[in-house]
Amino acid sequence: MNRYFYYCVTIVSMLNLMMFVPYLLIQDRYTGAISSMLLAALIGTTMAFLFTFVMKAFPGKGVPEIFAMYFPKWVTAPLMFFLGCMYFISASIVLNGFAVLINRFLNPDTSSIVVLSLLSLACVYGATRSTLTNIFIVEMGLILNVPLILMILFKSYRNSNLDWDAMLTIAQYWRNPPKLNSYAAAVYLFTGYSGYAIFNRLNPPNFRLRYRWLIPLVCCFIMVTSFFVPIGFHGTEAVASYLYVWSVTADSMTMEYGFLERVVFIFLLLYLNLSLVYTANVWHIAMEFFKSCLPKAKPQIDPERTPLSNWVIACILGLFTVVTSYLLDEKQDLRLATNWLILRVCVEVISVLFLFVLSIGAGGKKQST
Amino acid sequence: MKYNRILLLTVMLLSLAGLTGGCGFKDIDKRFFVVAIGIDPPAEGAKGYKVTLRLAVPSPKVEPGAAKSRVETIQATTIAEGVRLLKSHVDKELDFGHCKLLLFGEELVKKDFRAPMQWFARRRDIQSVAYVAIGKPDANSILNVEPSSERLPGNAIFLTFGHGGTESSYTLYTYLFDLLRRAGERGLDPILPIMRVENNGYVVTRLGLLDKSKLVTVLNPQETEMFNQIRYEFKKSTVAASFGGQNMVMSVDGISSKTKIVRTNEGYVLRLRLKIKGIFEEAPIGVYDQDWKKLEQTFNAQVEQEAERLLKKVQQAGVDPFGFGLKFRATHAGSEKTWKAWESIYPRLKFDVKANVIIEGSGIIR
Repeated sequence: MNRYFYYCVTIVSMLNLMMFVPYLLIQDRYTGAISSMLLAALIGTTMAFLFTFVMKAFPGKGVPEIFAMYFPKWVTAPLMFFLGCMYFISASIVLNGFAVLINRFLNPDTSSIVVLSLLSLACVYGATRSTLTNIFIVEMGLILNVPLILMILFKSYRNSNLDWDAMLTIAQYWRNPPKLNSYAAAVYLFTGYSGYAIFNRLNPPNFRLRYRWLIPLVCCFIMVTSFFVPIGFHGTEAVASYLYVWSVTADSMTMEYGFLERVVFIFLLLYLNLSLVYTANVWHIAMEFFKSCLPKAKPQIDPERTPLSNWVIACILGLFTVVTSYLLDEKQDLRLATNWLILRVCVEVISVLFLFVLSIGAGGKKQST
Repeated sequence: MKYNRILLLTVMLLSLAGLTGGCGFKDIDKRFFVVAIGIDPPAEGAKGYKVTLRLAVPSPKVEPGAAKSRVETIQATTIAEGVRLLKSHVDKELDFGHCKLLLFGEELVKKDFRAPMQWFARRRDIQSVAYVAIGKPDANSILNVEPSSERLPGNAIFLTFGHGGTESSYTLYTYLFDLLRRAGERGLDPILPIMRVENNGYVVTRLGLLDKSKLVTVLNPQETEMFNQIRYEFKKSTVAASFGGQNMVMSVDGISSKTKIVRTNEGYVLRLRLKIKGIFEEAPIGVYDQDWKKLEQTFNAQVEQEAERLLKKVQQAGVDPFGFGLKFRATHAGSEKTWKAWESIYPRLKFDVKANVIIEGSGIIR
C-alpha cells in the first residue's frame, strides 16, 4: 500500500501547478516568494512526516474514527463537518478553476457553467464509489497522465526560449522575509498526505510507510518548476500579468513533430484528467467526513452496494459547486482561493499537531499494555 | 434500492442531453481560418488602425501555387471593432486559432506598438507561439502577396520563420510571448524581424531593435547575422574576413558566446568571448598550405572588430536586445538599487571582445 500514499502526494502537487499556487507565488516574486518556498519545504515536509507517524499509530483508522475514540459525538460531529467543508472547498476551487480554463482555451463558445456542470456530474459519480475504488482511480489517473506531463515539464527545461538569467534574477531576491500569502500557497503543494485522513482506513495493522524522503523530493521539484519555469519563459516582469500562468507557458512551447504542434492542448487535456480524478477523490473524502457526522455512522471501505447517503451528499456537493461558481466572478474566485489557503494553513497545523499529540498518547498506551 | 439507482441514472443522462444542447460548436466548413493579421496606422487624418486579415480559402488541391487566400482590410478606431466589422464582410465565422503571423506596419511601429500588442496578448485564441514581425513598407502590402511556391495558404510564412523550412542566419524570428516578455522585462528589449516583399515572395534579412514602445534602429544583414551568433549561438551561419583584397568565408560548425560583466578601475566592462569553429567554404586554392594560425588571427581581429561595432551601435541606440541588463541583475544582489545602478552603467559600459576562430579544415579541396 506504500505506493498509494505517494500517488496522493503526487497528484496534489502536480495539480496545483495548473491552479492558483504559481500565480500567487509569482505575484510575490520580488517580495518573499523564495524564502516562503524554502520555509514551506521545511514545514510542509515536517507536517507530512508527523502525519505519517499518526497514520502508523492508528492503523486502519481514519481521522473521524480517531476523534470518535477520544471525544463524544457532539464534539466530533461539528469538527468533522468543518474538516469535510475544508476538503470540499479545495476540490471545488480546482474544478471551478478548470471549468474556466476550458472555457478560455479549449472551447470559448460554451459557458463555463455548462462545462462545470458536466465535470461535476462525472465527479459526483466518482465520489460516490467506495473508498477502495477511489484510491484505485487515483492510481490509474496518475499512471495514464503523469508520464506525459513529466515529459512536457522536462522539455520545458531544455527549451531554448527559457531564459536562465530571468530565473537567476528572481533567485537573487531570496533575502526578503517570507509572506503569509505565498507561504500558504507554497505549503499547499506539500499537503498530499492529507488524503490519508480517510484512506488510512485501507491500511492493514502492520503497515509501515517506506521511502518517506520521496515527499520532499517530489514536492520540491514541482514547486521549483511551477515557480521558475514560467519566469524563464515570460521574464521577470511580464510573467506577473498572466492569469493562467501555466496554460500560457505550455502555449509557449511547441512540439513540431509531436501529434499536435501546440503543447497547450495536450497539457490541458492531461490536466483535465488529473483534476477530474482529484476532485472525485477529494469529494469522496469530504463525503466520508460528512457521513461520519450522521448518527450510527459506520465506516465501510468497500460496501457491496452504494449507500443512498453517498448519492445525496455527493449531489449536494456538486450542486453547491455549480451554484457558487454561478454567483462568483473570476476575481472573487481568486480571493476565495487565497483566503481559503490561509485558513487551511492554520487548520493544517492545528489538526496535525493535535493528532500527533493523540498518537503519542496512543503509542504510550500500547507500550504499557 | 435498485429502483433508486435507475432513477438517478436517468435523471443524470437527461440532464446531460440538456447541457450539451448549449455547446456552441461550429463545423470546420463554416469557419474562415485567419492565417495572418496585419495592423497598420490608418490613412491620413483618420484615427485608429487599419486591420488586414489574410483568410485561408479551403481548397481540395494541395500543390505548389494552388493555395488560395482572401485578404480583407478595414479601418476602425479599435482593432476589436475592426475585427467585428470584418465579420460582417465574410460569410463564415472567423477563427484565429491558426493565425501564425502578427504583422505590424513599419509606420505603426515607429510610433507605438503597445496597444495592438496588448490586443494580441489579451485575445484568448491567439497563439503565444505566433510569429511577430514588422512589415515594410506596411503590413497590408505583405499580406496581399500570394507566393507562387505556396502549397497551403500562409505556408510560406511559417516556413520562412521557424526551423521548419529555410534556416537563414539573417532571418530571426520572435514569438508573441517573447515580444511580450521583452516588452515588459527590465534589462532586455524587444527585437522584431523586418519583412518585405520581393518577386512575389518574402524577404527577411534585417532586424529591428525596439525600445519599450517603438522602433529605434535597424540592423543591416551583416549585423543581424552577428547578433544571431552572439545572442543565439546560431550555427548555420558564416564568418568572413578579407586578406589583402582576397575574401575568405568559413561556414560555422560550432559557436559559443559567453558574456560577463566585470568591474575594473575604468568602470564596468562587458567581456564577450566568442569561440567559432568552422571549415572553409570560399577561399583561394592553396589555403591548405598556408599558416592557419596566421589566418585565424586575421579572422579573430576582423570578427572582434565587427562584434564591437555592433555592440557599440546597440549601446548608442539606447536599447539592450542582448539582455546585458538582465545578466547584470542575475549576477548582483536582488534589489531596486541593482537596476538603478545598471541604468547608469549601461550608457558608459565598455566592451572587451575576444574572438577565437578555429579553422577545422579547408573543405574538400586543398
